[in-house]
Amino acid sequence: MTFRGLLTVVSVEWAKLAQQLKVRIVILVCAIGPFAFAGAMRGQASVPADTLFGSSVTDSGFAIPLVVLGFAGLWALPVLASVVGGDLFSAEDRYGTWTTILTRSRSRTELFVGKVATAFAFSLLALFALAASSVIAGILLIGAQPLVDLSGMLLSPRDALVRVVLAWSSVVPSVLAFTALAVLASVWTQSSAAGIGLPVVAGLALQLLTLIDGPEAIRRLLITSGFSAWHGFLSEPSYYGPIVHALVVSTVYLIGCLIVAHRVLRRRDIGR
Amino acid sequence: MPTTAVRGNLPKPEGATVGSVAVAAVGVSKRYGDRDALCGVDLIARHGQLHGLLGPNGAGKTTLLRVLLGLVRRDCGSVTLLGRPLESTNGPLPDGVAGFVDTPAFYPYLSGRNALALLARLDGIGRSARDERIARALHDVSLTPHADEAVGGYSAGMRQRLGIAASLLRSPRLLFLDEPTSSLDPASAREVRTVASNLAKDGASIVWSSHHMSEVEDLCHTVTVLNRGRTIFSGTVDEIRALLPPAVHALSTSDDDAAIDLARRRAGLRVSAGAMGALEVSAAIDALDEYVVALGRAGIAVRALQRRNRTLESLFLELTGGAVIDAPDSTEPVAMAP
Repeated sequence: MTFRGLLTVVSVEWAKLAQQLKVRIVILVCAIGPFAFAGAMRGQASVPADTLFGSSVTDSGFAIPLVVLGFAGLWALPVLASVVGGDLFSAEDRYGTWTTILTRSRSRTELFVGKVATAFAFSLLALFALAASSVIAGILLIGAQPLVDLSGMLLSPRDALVRVVLAWSSVVPSVLAFTALAVLASVWTQSSAAGIGLPVVAGLALQLLTLIDGPEAIRRLLITSGFSAWHGFLSEPSYYGPIVHALVVSTVYLIGCLIVAHRVLRRRDIGR
Repeated sequence: MPTTAVRGNLPKPEGATVGSVAVAAVGVSKRYGDRDALCGVDLIARHGQLHGLLGPNGAGKTTLLRVLLGLVRRDCGSVTLLGRPLESTNGPLPDGVAGFVDTPAFYPYLSGRNALALLARLDGIGRSARDERIARALHDVSLTPHADEAVGGYSAGMRQRLGIAASLLRSPRLLFLDEPTSSLDPASAREVRTVASNLAKDGASIVWSSHHMSEVEDLCHTVTVLNRGRTIFSGTVDEIRALLPPAVHALSTSDDDAAIDLARRRAGLRVSAGAMGALEVSAAIDALDEYVVALGRAGIAVRALQRRNRTLESLFLELTGGAVIDAPDSTEPVAMAP
């Protein structure tokens, strides 16, 4: 595997993604969705007080990205993480194009790594689009007022912005772990429905698991734990244990899924 | 049906030197579950030759091509492409090797030109040379007028031609084509055959899979015939022609059952019910003359006797266990009943 070969595969995959309507729609929804939400909050009297920072959405624009993050962690982030990763491999099965791309000058490992890199890059792009749009929508439509954190401390606009950025950054490992899970489902099942659907269903199931009483050890092993680890950034004093833990769990999921997916693809007979 | 392979003058697998052959597959086997898809298959093709890979559907042709293109792992055997051993299915296809199996597939949302551009990038073809090579490949397969249309709207024949264009991008010195004319109209098929012949004249080796013996007979220098995953013939087209049995005659009588019964009591001829209602008589000419006279003496009228040439197609069908269908000879019937 060469770095140049890897870049070639990534550029080819991005060229293919750029031609797909689905991809454009996802990015568009990420970009304008928070504006619609912030606009709706601004125009109505009631606020979503039962969610974290929900009661502050009309008081500080920095509450908007945190509410969006809390909401997205339930199901939107697994969807964003899976929408490309869960389809990138199985699409070759759907179109019957494995034989076309495997009879070129790139190895299976190069194609695998290039596709995974593309899936990760797309997941990060979608996450960034959602985060940036949420922050901009909050500031433009609500305002850059100080934010009251989870401990009741008033954060300056600058400090609030930094913590919002840290909060969104903290879900990156979990998003990438979900992408790796989607890649594995896509490679293993050769089905885009399973590649996209299984991680989403798994995400919802894991979220439900965190709500029921169960052994703490099991809950700490769940990939979704990273979607709520950001609370530590918005507390005084800040605590980082859950973030570090989520990073470790996500890394284990990510590496495990990719190793298995790579092995399955390498050993697979194409077009039996 | 023969159970042992017939080998012509092709280089023996163990004696195939790196310089003399473009592809050497020796003892290749592949098993799916409890079914042997390939069982010790050999295929040797020289540089500058069109090599036919023949066999009925399910014979193992496509599986063998998949093994040769590194798409399927072989259980045993060795494969050498352009002098380099093909060790695993993970490596890239060696430079100069190209081909496709089944009907070539492309992303339906891309145009033909863009599809080739992506494949050219995967091949590492630089931007400066890319457009020119794509235009030439499209021209070679007469797809230029449709180059900017979405592949999703292409017919099977157009996809097949695009697959050949995609192979041409790699400037192949060894090209595997899986039934490349199966979806083409006669004019397009002729163009593809011309492209393949020209590549062979330029020194490339082409392995042309087909289940039409007549196509291979016209086009190829050498041939490997597979049946049920085994090699049943390997040699030159001339050598397989030499295996043709003597001509048979189609016989029409007033009482075919009695004619067959009479033949059973005579030596040196074989009579069987053939296609189209006529009897098939296989015999030396003297024995045939005596049989016709005997039919007349027995009161059985001979209504028509027509010589039929044994085509390679019929031999192929016989070798592979299919029904034997002989083409009528252009010559006049040699005898007519009064």
